[in-house]
Order: sequence, then structure tokens, then C-alpha cells
Amino acid sequence: MKGMRILGIETSCDETAISILNVSGKSVKVEQNLVSSQIPIHQKYGGVVPEVAARSHVPETVALITEVLGKKGLKAFDAIAVTNGPGLATALRVGIEAGRVLAMLSGKPIIGVNHLEGHLASAWLNADNRKRWKYPLLALVVSGGHTELVLMKDACKYKIVGQTRDDAAGEAFDKSAKLMGLPYPGGPQIAKLALEGDPAGFDLPRPMLNDGSLDFSFSGLKTAVRQTWEPWMKGPEERKDKAKRDLAASLQQAIVDVLAAKTLTAAKKYKVKGVLLVGGVSANVMLRERLESDLKRELPSVPFLPSDKLFVTDNAAMIAAAGAWRLAKGEKHDWKKIEAKPEWNL
Amino acid sequence: MKFIVHRIEDWDLLAKQLVSRLPPNAILTLSGPLGAGKTTLVQAISRALGATENPRSPTFSLVRSYKLPNTSPFSTLVHVDAYRLENEADAMTLGLDELSAEDGSLLVVEWPERLGSTLHAMRKPIVQLTISQDAGSEVRRVEVTE
Repeated sequence: MKGMRILGIETSCDETAISILNVSGKSVKVEQNLVSSQIPIHQKYGGVVPEVAARSHVPETVALITEVLGKKGLKAFDAIAVTNGPGLATALRVGIEAGRVLAMLSGKPIIGVNHLEGHLASAWLNADNRKRWKYPLLALVVSGGHTELVLMKDACKYKIVGQTRDDAAGEAFDKSAKLMGLPYPGGPQIAKLALEGDPAGFDLPRPMLNDGSLDFSFSGLKTAVRQTWEPWMKGPEERKDKAKRDLAASLQQAIVDVLAAKTLTAAKKYKVKGVLLVGGVSANVMLRERLESDLKRELPSVPFLPSDKLFVTDNAAMIAAAGAWRLAKGEKHDWKKIEAKPEWNL
Repeated sequence: MKFIVHRIEDWDLLAKQLVSRLPPNAILTLSGPLGAGKTTLVQAISRALGATENPRSPTFSLVRSYKLPNTSPFSTLVHVDAYRLENEADAMTLGLDELSAEDGSLLVVEWPERLGSTLHAMRKPIVQLTISQDAGSEVRRVEVTE
């Protein structure tokens, strides 16, 4: 059976990403997956490095689409999926305009995708996860911009049952790292230091852990890290290093404790048949292991369905995958009418 | 105008006084270190303006907008965070002109220092607010200049 090749386009925030996903019956294959920040600059611009703003997306989008389509041109895909919200309006429009032009020229269907739904679909790119995919599912979406618990009642039917009230979990990692003088991006730095630190070294708060809601709050944690770290800043180097490792471990423990506890509570409450872990922070090894072991212990019949590390950060394969879900339901958009929705809730 | 914030509830009192003094089409800039309470203040401002949605940090998304009720002196609260911007050219991609084009929007900008001259070029009344905190103290000092 000939598969459907979906061209994914993602430009909602920092990353420009283009992908081709081939969906054929039960087989789902990522044929191409380009993310701008992972490509050397000279390669992207053919040796000439233009002066561009970080989120202009225009030169990247053109370069990546040219590369992905190759000699096949408009015959390289059968449908287009493009992120049209939520995100930065000026950034979203670059991907949308590119998608519209390709849809107009090729006459092929185009579908606008919610970026958050793309993250949910990133877990579906894994074949083992697809075999165990049974609704209702629960997804913990954790990244620099998101901390949400999404109940997936059925295909393309969602309800946000919990979310952060202030900072995202990834932001708590990044900003705490900054306060501790660690280089960007802070999340991986904290995780690395935490390996050699004592997670009980500092007593940090577990915000909203026992408040009965499924919401999160990480803004106070950042303040706690600042206040904890301040007295150590001028201390002797050797003791300072140990304190830094312990604080990193304590911070990671505090964040993971809250994320895991609320996810388990939600999984029980909604009697889900699987738990997804997606988004950039899901690359955190401790979070993965903790959620997996908690599930095994407390809900042994509920499978743990994390997305592959390759697809946790923003990418277009996940956008194409969400597009595949929508197209399978018979949805498509008129290329003339598709527009940016910066504040689009799932 | 100066305030001292002792408890979290004090942000609401501050926000109420602050919004009553903001000129139409104002840009409010918020300065202060990480963890000073800038986003907490924006949440209090949104409550003072009667918004139903609770603002969350726009650090990653850079901009979040909230519709305000008819009873509010402003139509939309646009919350901008320039923390992650690297240069002034980056500020162009925020689309601030478009975001504030609607009459009666209130632009609240965290980390305005990183936008260079962009805000002044918009020719709107700018109110500057700075939050500071003494080491080891929970108390925040807030200063507003118009």
C-alpha cells in the first residue's frame, strides 16, 4: 500500500523545523527531520551568514524546505501539516505562509496543527508506544514553555486537567541554573551536577504538592533557589562546589517529585490506559526513571509511553504526526483561510 | 511613587493603585532580578483589571495576551518578556507594533533593558517600575517613575 507522505512545518517559537513523515497503515516512518539549530550555520546559508534576528525564520524555512523536497519538488509530499498556534504571531506566519504557497502550488491538502497536539503526537512516533496506544491516555507535557497534564479522551479529543500557574518546569531549571551561575541551557547542566549531589542536601519547597489540585507552581522554587544560593556565593571554592552539586540535586528532586506525584494522581483519577511523557524536559533521565518506576509500582497495568529523545524538543515530525491524526479524521483546511492563532488553547 | 511589599497580598494592593494611575495606551516596564516577583505582579495587575485568565510566565513564548472585560480601562493585557532576547534585531520579531496597535491595550514588558530603544520608538507613555530586594530579606522595594 502506498503511504501518505506528510510535510511537517514548525516555526512557532525558536526553532525552524521541516520534516517528512510517511504513514502507511500501521507503519509510521520519519523520512526526514531537520531542525535549524542542529544544522551548522554555514550549511544552512550556503557559506554566507546573513545578519538575521533569532526568530525571523525566513532564511531557515526556505533553506530547510529546499533541502527536504530535493529533486522531487512538489512531488515529495502528499499533504502539508503546519503549526498555526500557539506561538509568536510573527514566527507562526512564516511557516503558515510557506505552507500556504506549497498547498496552492501543489493542490494538496493542508492542515493547521496545534503545537501542543504536536508534542502529544511525538510519543506516537515510537512503534512500541503505538502498539500500546489505547484511549483514554494522560500526557505530561514538560518543556521550557509548557507544564501541562492533558487528558486524551479519544483521538483528537483533549482536556487540560492541570497546568502551571506561573513558570514552566523547564523555566525553573533554566532560571535556577542561571542564578547558580551555570551556562545555558540550564536543564542539562542541573541534571549533570545532580548526579554527584545530595538530593536531600537542601530543603527546597514542593509547591502545591498536597493542595488537591492537578496544577503546578514553580515560580516560588526559583526564589527559594536564589535565597538558598546567596550565602554560598562568596564562600570558599571547594565548599561552594559541593553546595552547587547538592543544590542542583535538591532542585531536580523537588521538580521531579511534584511532576511525578501530580501525574500519578491524575492517572488514577481518570483511570487512563497509558501515560505519555513529552516535551524538552522529558529528556531528564531522573524524571523518566521516576515516572516509569512510580507507574510500575502503583499502576502496573498502565504502560509508560515516553517520546523518543530525538523528538522531545520542538520538531516538525511531531507536527506531521498530529497532522496525520487530523487528516485520518477527514479534516483539512482551506489554504486561503488558514491563519496564525497565537493564543490557541488545545 | 514607592511601595514596600511584605506579603504576597501586598502585590494586589500595589496593582490596584498602579492601574488606576496608568495613562491610556501605556507601556509599563518591569525591572528587577530573577525571582523578584515580576510575573507575580503581572498576575496581580491582571486581577486588578478583572481578567479571568491567570497570566503565566511568557519567558519561553515571549508574548502572551489576555482579553480584559468591558469594565476595565484597557481592552487587552499584553505581557511581554524580553529575557531571552539576544539583540535589538530580535525585538523586531516580537511584533510589538502590531500587538499594541489595538486601541486601549496595556503593554507590560519584563526585562525592558534588552529591547534597547524599541519601546521609546513606539511613542507611547512609558511607566517604569523597578523591584529590588535586600540580600537575605523577603521584603521587596518597588519604585515607580513616570
